[in-house]
Amino acid sequence: MYHAILDAKAVALLLGPLCLLLAAFFVHPLLLVAWTSVGSGRLGFDAYASLAKSTLFLRVLANTFEISALATLVSLVLGYVIALHIAHASPRRRTLYLVMIMLPFWTSILVKSFAFMVVLGDQGLVNRALASLSNGAVHLEMIFNRAGVVIGMVNYLLPFMVLPILASLLAQDPTLHKAAEIMGAGPIRIFMRITLPLSSPGVQAGVLMNMTLAMGMYITPALLGGRRDMMLANLVDFYTRQTLDWNAASAIAIVLLVISGVFIALLARAGGTRNVLEQAHA
Amino acid sequence: MLAWFGYLFLILPSLIVVPVSFGGGEELQFPPKSLSLELYARFFADPAWWGAARQSFIVATLTTLIALLLAVPAAYALARTRFRGRRFFELVVLAPMLTPVIVLGLGLYIDFGALQLIGTTTSMVLAHSVLVVPFAFVAVTAGLRQIDPALETVSMVMGAGRARIFFEVVLPQIKAPLMVAALFAFLISFDEVVVAYFLAGPKTTTLPVKMYSAIRWEISPVLAAVSTLLTAISLAVCLGMMALQKRSP
Repeated sequence: MYHAILDAKAVALLLGPLCLLLAAFFVHPLLLVAWTSVGSGRLGFDAYASLAKSTLFLRVLANTFEISALATLVSLVLGYVIALHIAHASPRRRTLYLVMIMLPFWTSILVKSFAFMVVLGDQGLVNRALASLSNGAVHLEMIFNRAGVVIGMVNYLLPFMVLPILASLLAQDPTLHKAAEIMGAGPIRIFMRITLPLSSPGVQAGVLMNMTLAMGMYITPALLGGRRDMMLANLVDFYTRQTLDWNAASAIAIVLLVISGVFIALLARAGGTRNVLEQAHA
Repeated sequence: MLAWFGYLFLILPSLIVVPVSFGGGEELQFPPKSLSLELYARFFADPAWWGAARQSFIVATLTTLIALLLAVPAAYALARTRFRGRRFFELVVLAPMLTPVIVLGLGLYIDFGALQLIGTTTSMVLAHSVLVVPFAFVAVTAGLRQIDPALETVSMVMGAGRARIFFEVVLPQIKAPLMVAALFAFLISFDEVVVAYFLAGPKTTTLPVKMYSAIRWEISPVLAAVSTLLTAISLAVCLGMMALQKRSP
């Protein structure tokens, strides 16, 4: 049914320009990638067949899943604790905590990567502090390796974990907790039997959102990882610019797109896409 | 305890660059041994740096204009009508937000390559508009949900034309969400690096692209000054949004 003011023609006029932009510069480029991945129709699925045999690709694919899962796990533990803390704070302090969650969300990923180099690097803050405490005995390699990528990624992913979990914690009826307490349940039991199960939609949404974002990350592994921490996005770039093999680059891009598609579909089924996005940007 | 560690972990990287940027000298120091504005002076003295900042500003401003011009009418149409396929439209509009940027970057690189538009401001603005539109759309849609459509119906009954209703009844009510959408769009475009890295040419290098290669190839201390400027912009936008959201009901 149309709103009294807008008839079908008006709706088409209002939607048209945006649809044109998205058709020309979103749908078309993605179709071009798919088309390039099959060698513009000439090579068929050759590129995919050689990917399946390429040790480099398989190692990077495994890396991508491992790093993303590890970062999501760390982000879940830390994010849950933060969400609990915010949920129990007074409304006034809650605003302050939320600003602290949102500020990094708005900071350029380059600034954060650069900062992690200053803090975690060879001559960085942490290592100099450790050296002076231990007379130079302790030295940690924290960047240009797996640890660096995971630290950088958790920092990026955390807000996307905290917000949905916080929403599901705030939605819980406080009388439930009170009732359990009156009936003699201890804090651990209340958490395990009430808080945790009731927050599972938030946890699900947060985990899926984290995985979706993590799988496609490019900057963090490029700047904070070592040679062996390459992820799919870096491999796409490598084939595009270093070896100029657009065919392979496009095939990898399509694999990445399909993986993200699966996670997004799961997220949509969990009923989360809209809510997560709206919280993140409300 | 762990929660505080979390907060610290979240905000420290954004803030640590500030004291470092006032250190001056060839090496990054923390805590800085002396206070100086030398790194800022070097940023503004080097056309490669401020030229990139200027380019980012131009791209982000044009992107914001285009994104709003396209997203506001579309959000209005979708908020005020119920037709088959409406959900599908919404999904298409939001899709760029969920697509891995590298995939879109590669596609645009092939696309604009064929059109001989790599290295132009035009290609960068169009690409950023696609990336930014979903965010503007979400912000405007949220604003439109807050206002009462009956006011528009009443205006029509009173004889106002469609254009007049849109400009004099609808827009004034969503001023705050519009500002939020504009801030969103500007900041996302200003900070965007992956797609810009594919599309930038020697004359159209944006600040994030310049920064990315500077971090990769030589850790220049000027980076601390650039980072501080970027953090200041982020903080301003973040506070601006909070203020706007407090104002809107």
